[in-house]
Amino acid sequence: MRDNTLKYLLVLPAVFVVFATAIWPLIESLRLSFTVGRLNRPGSLDQYLGWENFTWAFSQEPAFWNSVWVTAIYTVLTVALTTLFALGLAMLLAPGGKFRSGVQTLLILPFAMSPALIGVSFRFMFNPEFGLFDAFFGVMIPPLADVSWLADPVLAFAVCVMADVWGWIPFLTLVLIGGLASVPQDTIEAAQVDGASGWRVFKDVTLPQLAPVLAVVIILKSIFSLKTFDQIFMLTNGGPGTATQTLSHYIYFNGMKYGQIGYAASVAWLMVIPMIFLTYAYAKFVFRKD
Amino acid sequence: MAEVSLKNLTKRWGDFIGVDNQSLEIHDREFLVLLGPSGCGKTTTMRMIAGLEDPTDGEIWIGDRMVNDDLPKDRDVAMVFQNYGLYPHMTIFDNIAYPLRVRGTPKSEIEPRVKKAAEQVELTEFLHRKPKALSGGQRQRVALARAIVRTPKVFLMDEPLSNLDAKLRVTMRAELKHLSRALKITTIYVTHDQIEAMTLADRVAVMKNGIIQQLGTPDEIYNDPANLFVAGFIGSPAMNLINGSVQDGHFVTTGGTKLVPVSAPDRPDVVLGVRADDMRVSEEGQGGIDVRIYAFENTGEATLLTVQWGKQRVIAKGDRHLRKDQDDMVSITLDPDHLYLFDPETGNRIKS
Repeated sequence: MRDNTLKYLLVLPAVFVVFATAIWPLIESLRLSFTVGRLNRPGSLDQYLGWENFTWAFSQEPAFWNSVWVTAIYTVLTVALTTLFALGLAMLLAPGGKFRSGVQTLLILPFAMSPALIGVSFRFMFNPEFGLFDAFFGVMIPPLADVSWLADPVLAFAVCVMADVWGWIPFLTLVLIGGLASVPQDTIEAAQVDGASGWRVFKDVTLPQLAPVLAVVIILKSIFSLKTFDQIFMLTNGGPGTATQTLSHYIYFNGMKYGQIGYAASVAWLMVIPMIFLTYAYAKFVFRKD
Repeated sequence: MAEVSLKNLTKRWGDFIGVDNQSLEIHDREFLVLLGPSGCGKTTTMRMIAGLEDPTDGEIWIGDRMVNDDLPKDRDVAMVFQNYGLYPHMTIFDNIAYPLRVRGTPKSEIEPRVKKAAEQVELTEFLHRKPKALSGGQRQRVALARAIVRTPKVFLMDEPLSNLDAKLRVTMRAELKHLSRALKITTIYVTHDQIEAMTLADRVAVMKNGIIQQLGTPDEIYNDPANLFVAGFIGSPAMNLINGSVQDGHFVTTGGTKLVPVSAPDRPDVVLGVRADDMRVSEEGQGGIDVRIYAFENTGEATLLTVQWGKQRVIAKGDRHLRKDQDDMVSITLDPDHLYLFDPETGNRIKS
């Protein structure tokens, strides 16, 4: 057998696996998004509907817009808070920072937990009867003593954000520590001797040199925040009402719970649009020529 | 303009002693070089003066102010780093202007001063570029310009030439010397390169293991070394150190050869130091001692003869027109006026 033929034969199984598990489902979901696609109605998976699923989402579904807003606010808040906390921690933990060594290992702990588990444990800790945080906040901030955290739309949203920020800080911190380590120490020392205060050294010298890494961190976290599902599913299940229903959760509900698989597929494809922008920006920063 | 004085300065990291209880007075407008092998504490000393490292003990005075508790920004020093420490995201103009900007210099003053500093280091045409578009020598000049754009009390230079190639280093060394004479600002310069130390310094402090071995002018360091370490460290090729004893007013090698009259009392163990320049090479039988050539090297400006002297090898410098070959015999004569005797135990110089 010629080498030329053999090399194609050897990659064939891998190509097949990728096609069966990624490409085909993608194509199939795209096809479904243009059908009536009701799981409880035989034949509807092949019933062509045109663009109606998409227009329906935009014009007839307040719940769709609600989840778009929830996702948007959730993304902005979690990205901003996680990045800020992670940057602060990274500054403290980076080489030359104030607390190194042992603390770094401890920091990784939240990252070792699956998001679903984070969801469950946060729900547990905000339980009005025996939740640790519920009791803690009740004592520290008396007006919050009698609130039922997960029953209040704003507070439930806040708990979701809190859980997400808590879970993602370690990863972002580690990436930023790496970024800070690559900022040449002598540029920082040069600025100190040149007469810059601590804040100005950070603003004029450290931050500009950290910018590419920071951009990657923000883009990555935006992608992660946009597709949040498991944590919300376990923590609030989108509730109370639809106060914490992200797009992913909305898609899941429509597809799996209501059986509107065609409609769910079309909303999922709508979500692809911001993802493409972010992925493009990410690729641009990661593979940038300098 | 200011004196710098270090009083019993010590830096320890755990059990490791970087700088060991050193005191040093650096005069106003003096160019002082801290010279020593890597790990000798010279850079640590400089970083403590800059405020980038906290001393474990002792005092640092700049002018009439003790600066131990001052941040680097408040010490009014300017520093040139080994890796230049340029801000990669700023243009050359902004790099040079940075010390002025952070110190609140009026905008109208910044441009003329940056231009003047750039002129002094011949960089005017590169002001709009970023550091990465410059060569190593040009980057070094930017670092210099950034230091001289202000008039600090003290210049600190941490091996500023060691990242340049050999040829450029010689050029930059001359420029640096010219500039420092023109500016007349107290300068502390760290290097492991003895030629830089010899050529640039008003005074040199030779350091080893956190201790200043000798402080003196380049002449004193070269011609009057205080101990074995300084004798061996300064000079290229290194000073020849020959083991032996003093008997009846003569130095006698361990092999038993009576070598040269010395003015020192008799003693069993002694090290004789003699520079390659202070040995005269002549044809076999026409001088002091006949020896066999182990290696003959022609450097162009001189010839270096490594000769076998009993069990030891010694390097002598010959005339640049001398031509010999390995295993040839030559005669070596020592200049009795330029010999140094050291105690092999303590390393200290034995002065007559």
